[in-house]
Amino acid sequence: MNKGEELGMETFQFGEEIQSLMAVVQPPEAGNSFTALLELPANQAVKLLHSHEETAPNNLPSSVFPSAENSLETTTSSVVPNSSPNNVNLVKQEPIDSDSMHNSSPNPSDPVVSKSTKRKEREKNVKTSAKKIKSVANDDGEELPYVHVRARRGQATDSHSLAERARREKINARMKLLQELVPGCNKISGTAMVLDEIINHVQSLQRQVEFLSMRLAAVHPNIDINLDNIFSAESGSLMDYSFPGMVSPQPLSHQLWQPDGLIPQPLWGVEETNPNFITPENSFLSYDSSGNSVSLYTNQLKMEL
Amino acid sequence: MYTSSMLKKEFLNKWIKGLQICCSSKNKMDLMERKKKIKLSADIAMASANKTATSWSNALISEAKKNKQDTILVSQLLGSKSPLKLQKSTNMIISIHKRVQCKKILKRSCFNAGKRMMKKKKKNLGISRSNFATTIAKRLVKKRTKVLKRLVPGGESMDEVSLIKEAMDYILSLKVQVDVMRSVVAAAEVLIDDKLLKLVE
Repeated sequence: MNKGEELGMETFQFGEEIQSLMAVVQPPEAGNSFTALLELPANQAVKLLHSHEETAPNNLPSSVFPSAENSLETTTSSVVPNSSPNNVNLVKQEPIDSDSMHNSSPNPSDPVVSKSTKRKEREKNVKTSAKKIKSVANDDGEELPYVHVRARRGQATDSHSLAERARREKINARMKLLQELVPGCNKISGTAMVLDEIINHVQSLQRQVEFLSMRLAAVHPNIDINLDNIFSAESGSLMDYSFPGMVSPQPLSHQLWQPDGLIPQPLWGVEETNPNFITPENSFLSYDSSGNSVSLYTNQLKMEL
Repeated sequence: MYTSSMLKKEFLNKWIKGLQICCSSKNKMDLMERKKKIKLSADIAMASANKTATSWSNALISEAKKNKQDTILVSQLLGSKSPLKLQKSTNMIISIHKRVQCKKILKRSCFNAGKRMMKKKKKNLGISRSNFATTIAKRLVKKRTKVLKRLVPGGESMDEVSLIKEAMDYILSLKVQVDVMRSVVAAAEVLIDDKLLKLVE
């Protein structure tokens, strides 16, 4: 029985999500057992399988098949399709170290299943020295019924620990993304501390929302916002501008914000229909930098004092 | 980030709509009521501006629906385009409750089984240090995930994997919300100051 076969491993990625781990081709080691799983779609797997003929592929007793299938089921985990492509795309631009998950067709053909399960059985019997390769869910929202994981050297190869390890790696990958999202988390090591930071961040954001709404409520006794003009804020320039220092009022110029490098040509008009300031209409804020066509931000607040 | 500014635009639109709706009523609301309404409209605007169907947004919306006072505002704000979404969210909430109950039952049974195991394990005094450290670490992580679940809306019934994803989305949209609100508040305050100055003059 020639168990010293090696299979070239290739990983494929669907979608633009992760350009990480490329193929890890394990050099065959003398006397080493085969390496199991393929992370290829079914047809490719069949090709590969056929190309590397197993010595006893047909000797699989049919009785093994149902149990093998069970083992296949237990060792695989389903991955929830990624439901928020936009945000995740943004966040996951950062390369993830060693994760790339893969999509395998949910109904592998019979020979493929039998062969892969048989390989799994063999793997369970023999320790492997191959590194673990995993693939991460793709972006298209396809269901991933199976995750193929290979065991590291010296680690337990029973189905439960494999599945657990897969799950743990998933969680760790996402924790890394979260770390990059929350400022100041990169240097912290250890899940508990990172989670601490994340919790603090979320709490502070929520508290900020509360305070801001309180401020807004305190400003006007009664707000009546009337949008006469459709405003369109250009991406970036106005909206991303923060206003910590802009609140100082300038009574004569209703300039509220000045984009960097732009000479503002304020088109604001303070229209006061009534000389008595009971119901004035104030329109604040429209900058029309005709040179840049940057953005016209117009709002009208009707305030009743 | 390109999507964040689009999100901000949408959020601002919806929020102002919501404020218009809630302030069209001529009642004199005191500070806390106003603040609540403002916050509510901001939250709902945030949740609905999120085009992708994240579970926290659905959870927010359905929670707001439960509160009868606010349903009018919610339904008006969301408009006609999302009765489906509302239904989806309510269905989700129902299924979430069921899931939570099932998990609780499981936990209880596992806990009782685990008690027996613990009693057996206590007899084994050879606890290595590394095991000790890892168990402590695990406990800490568990505590914190519980707290996070409470913070993220709708996070009670999610497993850890999706919880982290939801937390990411939530943090992003919270940032957007804070930025937009801050700018609006600043603008409004400046305006009020100007007006007061003019009055004084």
